[in-house]
Amino acid sequence: MRLLANTTALLGKELQTEFRSRELLITTMFFVLTVIALFSITFDAAVSDPKNVGPGLLWLAILFSSSLMLQPCFLKERTNDTLSALRLSVGDPFAIFLAKLVANVCLLLITELLALPIFAVFFNVKIMRVFPQLMLVFLLGSIGIAVTGTALSAISSQARMRELLLPMLLLPLLVPILLASTEATVALLGENPALRLDWMAILAAFDLVFLTALWLFGEYLLEE
Amino acid sequence: MKNLDSVFAAYLIGWGIFFVFSLSVARRAAGLKEELGRLKERLQDSARQGK
Amino acid sequence: MAKTGVYTFLVCVLMGVTAYASFYIAPTESTMGLVQRIFYLHAPSGMVSLMAFMISCIGSVAYILTRKPKWDWLAVSSAEVGVAFCTVVLLTGPIWAHPAWGVWWAWDARLTSTLVLWLLYVAFLILRTMIDDADRRALVSAFFGVFTFLDVPLVYGSIWWWRTQHPQPVVFTSAGLDPTMRKVFYLSWLSLTCLMALLIRQRYELESSREELRTLEQELEAT
Repeated sequence: MRLLANTTALLGKELQTEFRSRELLITTMFFVLTVIALFSITFDAAVSDPKNVGPGLLWLAILFSSSLMLQPCFLKERTNDTLSALRLSVGDPFAIFLAKLVANVCLLLITELLALPIFAVFFNVKIMRVFPQLMLVFLLGSIGIAVTGTALSAISSQARMRELLLPMLLLPLLVPILLASTEATVALLGENPALRLDWMAILAAFDLVFLTALWLFGEYLLEE
Repeated sequence: MKNLDSVFAAYLIGWGIFFVFSLSVARRAAGLKEELGRLKERLQDSARQGK
Repeated sequence: MAKTGVYTFLVCVLMGVTAYASFYIAPTESTMGLVQRIFYLHAPSGMVSLMAFMISCIGSVAYILTRKPKWDWLAVSSAEVGVAFCTVVLLTGPIWAHPAWGVWWAWDARLTSTLVLWLLYVAFLILRTMIDDADRRALVSAFFGVFTFLDVPLVYGSIWWWRTQHPQPVVFTSAGLDPTMRKVFYLSWLSLTCLMALLIRQRYELESSREELRTLEQELEAT
């Protein structure tokens, strides 16, 4: 259980670092709101058909924001040259990924939780009656975003033009998450709310596949 | 016939892409071969000078 | 060298035969008419691009496990060839769609998935240009190559399911292929696969030559 102990320790460090300044959280949160507002202004359907169009816009906003929010994840380690220290402090390099992954899921969930009431107001949707199911969709979606985003942050931190590279790499990869999360959210906010197990299965499959891939191959990304 | 134009355009574009790809690779390969030849000559020269 | 020449000649002959078959042997389709013949280039190109991407993924995995540069050369070569075939699909699609159905683009399952696939592998190729160190570039792009290929079934599956849930007026049907049409389709698939192999081989040789050049340059610097 050394993996668990190492991960927990690193996770504590990650969350502490973020919550000390909260700048990433606040900036991401406002970026989500800005994107939602801009989308709603551009697309009339947001006004005429909010229940079907709204969730798509919300998830797009989350996707765009996360592709920016996940940038510093490994970049800060490279800039501050702390990656080798991290590698030495843990036996299994996967602990580093796991800790960052869980931290990113937490940050994403907090952002989504804060954005949700404003989304409900903008699009006149009832979220409280399906809140637990909605949270499940957000959890699975966020895990998918965080797994791929954390891995790609490790990739883009080693390349040039990383600010553009990470979104360019991440967004096409996340098409299944975008589709499945949007469809599941639409189903929950409709006339007869229902938890769509087919879309949840796709979300779960995505999370499982990429988590396994990260576990198998992730350590090679951390080589100096 | 309008449709015939479309069919020709499609096949032209399709084959065009394959041809352009092959051509660009061939051109780069030719350039590399030239460079390789020059380098090999220089190596041989410096080996002879070394002796 | 001669072998490559013979193979190239054979591929050209095969492509010529396929073209003849697509235009003269395959029967004219009843509803769409002449323009349906684009199908014999469009659909097999899609399948061949997927095959190329699969080869690229094999190269990526092999590189991660063995660190032998030849696998990286295979990965990038087949990815580039895959993108070329994918581009053909995306360009011939609208050329077929416009006369046949009046629209340039339809967000149907196959075209949408192909577009996302194209975006993914173009991203792969762009990533490679952003890393200067050869070994790092090979490892990092191998990792992304694996991730990308793992995403392919998820992309296709989720988009297909999405289209099943929200059906559109059907476009691009190849449903109910006449036996002769089927034969021409398979012939086209075979000739495009042979072309894929030829192009991958050609591109692979280029990478191998680049490595030879790098080694020679290092040798020269040492003297």
